[in-house]
Amino acid sequence: MEGILFPHAVPEAREGLEEYRVRGGYQALTNAVESRPEEIIKIISDAGLRGRGGAGFPTGKKWQLTSEAPGEPRYLVLNGGEDEPGSKKDRVLLETLPHLVIEGTILGAYAIRAAKAYLYINARYDTAIQTVNDALAEAKSAGYWGDRVLGSAFNLDIEVVAAPHNYVAGEDTAALDVIEGKKPWPRQKPPFPVTAGLFGKPTVVNNVETLANIAPIVLKGAEWYRKFGTAESSGTMIFSLNDDVNRPGVYELPFGTPLRYLIEECGGGIKGGKKIKAIMPAAPSSAFLPADKIDTPLDHNSMREAGSALGCGVVRLVAEDCCIVEEVLRIAEFFSEESCGQCPACRMETSTLAMMMKKVQAGQGGQPILEQFGKILAFNKGKGFCNLIAMPGPPIESALKLFPEDFEAHLSTGKCPAN
Amino acid sequence: MVELEKRVAAKGLTDVEIKPYMCFGACQEGPNIVLYPEKNWYAKVKVEDLDEITEHLAGGPHVQRLDTIDSSLKELIYQLLDTGVI
Repeated sequence: MEGILFPHAVPEAREGLEEYRVRGGYQALTNAVESRPEEIIKIISDAGLRGRGGAGFPTGKKWQLTSEAPGEPRYLVLNGGEDEPGSKKDRVLLETLPHLVIEGTILGAYAIRAAKAYLYINARYDTAIQTVNDALAEAKSAGYWGDRVLGSAFNLDIEVVAAPHNYVAGEDTAALDVIEGKKPWPRQKPPFPVTAGLFGKPTVVNNVETLANIAPIVLKGAEWYRKFGTAESSGTMIFSLNDDVNRPGVYELPFGTPLRYLIEECGGGIKGGKKIKAIMPAAPSSAFLPADKIDTPLDHNSMREAGSALGCGVVRLVAEDCCIVEEVLRIAEFFSEESCGQCPACRMETSTLAMMMKKVQAGQGGQPILEQFGKILAFNKGKGFCNLIAMPGPPIESALKLFPEDFEAHLSTGKCPAN
Repeated sequence: MVELEKRVAAKGLTDVEIKPYMCFGACQEGPNIVLYPEKNWYAKVKVEDLDEITEHLAGGPHVQRLDTIDSSLKELIYQLLDTGVI
């Protein structure tokens, strides 16, 4: 299937500058510096590009808000923190198509008239950081960034910053704090980065995959882009499959492709010829879907209607012989460990949920413990500086609703039904 | 906590057990002392307040000025304590 980012398949090795130029690389930037920045924003808005970091916010809108916000200089941050367990799309893009990502970053900076761009990349991605630094050097020598980009009046500096490898460090405002030399703690919002971001100035924070889409859109136009995907989710998205399928990897598919195609045709089906018990379309923070929702189209609206979310596309499968209590316990413990602790409500909620799941697993607490989950989640709704506080909710509540028998088995016998 | 233990011991309160809790979700209002199962919550407790709290434990009056926590949080935490999950 033809992709937008990976024209054929995921490249085996890093694409060099010349290879990229042969297939039209940096042509979008060459055209763009002849246009006004607002025209670039309009193309991105018309294309309907939505952020690929998980929230799906319209990119053109984010750029416009930043562009119109008072205060200079403006900044653009490429967010490659990528700490979602099982997500590898950003790493693959940075390692194989660094110039595609860099051109998108430069175009984004031009569109919002940013003076500086920061490439915030997971510190564990040694190869990606090296690859990006090499590509940046090539691009600078060719005049694509630095002083007077391609002879225009546009000046842009770019700097790579290593992102700490904990979950909240990938949150957009935590990224800003790290770049400012602080620890990775999310900020209270509002103000949002678009008005008061890096060093208090208007800032765009975009995911790696989002920025990788920019050059193709600017080069080929909004109308071309809208041919991929659905009306409300245009383009393609990269999905990450892990060891629960026969062919783990990253797969770029147009929005609206049935989930079944991703699992069966791309991933080669669930491992061991087992039946699927549940699907988590955006692990670890989305609701579980029952196996009969396997034909749900992979787009934001369809996933919401089915009761889950698309997130950043880490699709996880639960096999028929797995216990959902064990799955949920792992998720609750993950969020408890990853809560940064600055918001008391989040610390209390995530640690209590993990403790409660541990009790359920051990068969303690009976029915009354199950009734407390919803109360804790409802009490903490809307609290906390970032969204982590809300993340354990969908997996826990959907598991309780879809698989009550697994919880009952643990509580009545103290044993896991899977063993 | 050590100061409270000293006062409780000095008062001879043998039916009082003092235990640390990781989090009641109100660290910004801390230090917090929850008397359970009576269900009294004292927030922003200072060393100077401990004598009055010890008096309360010995059957004295409720320390109204330290009872400032939001009632919905109290209810949630009391329920969790009742259920035995924290």
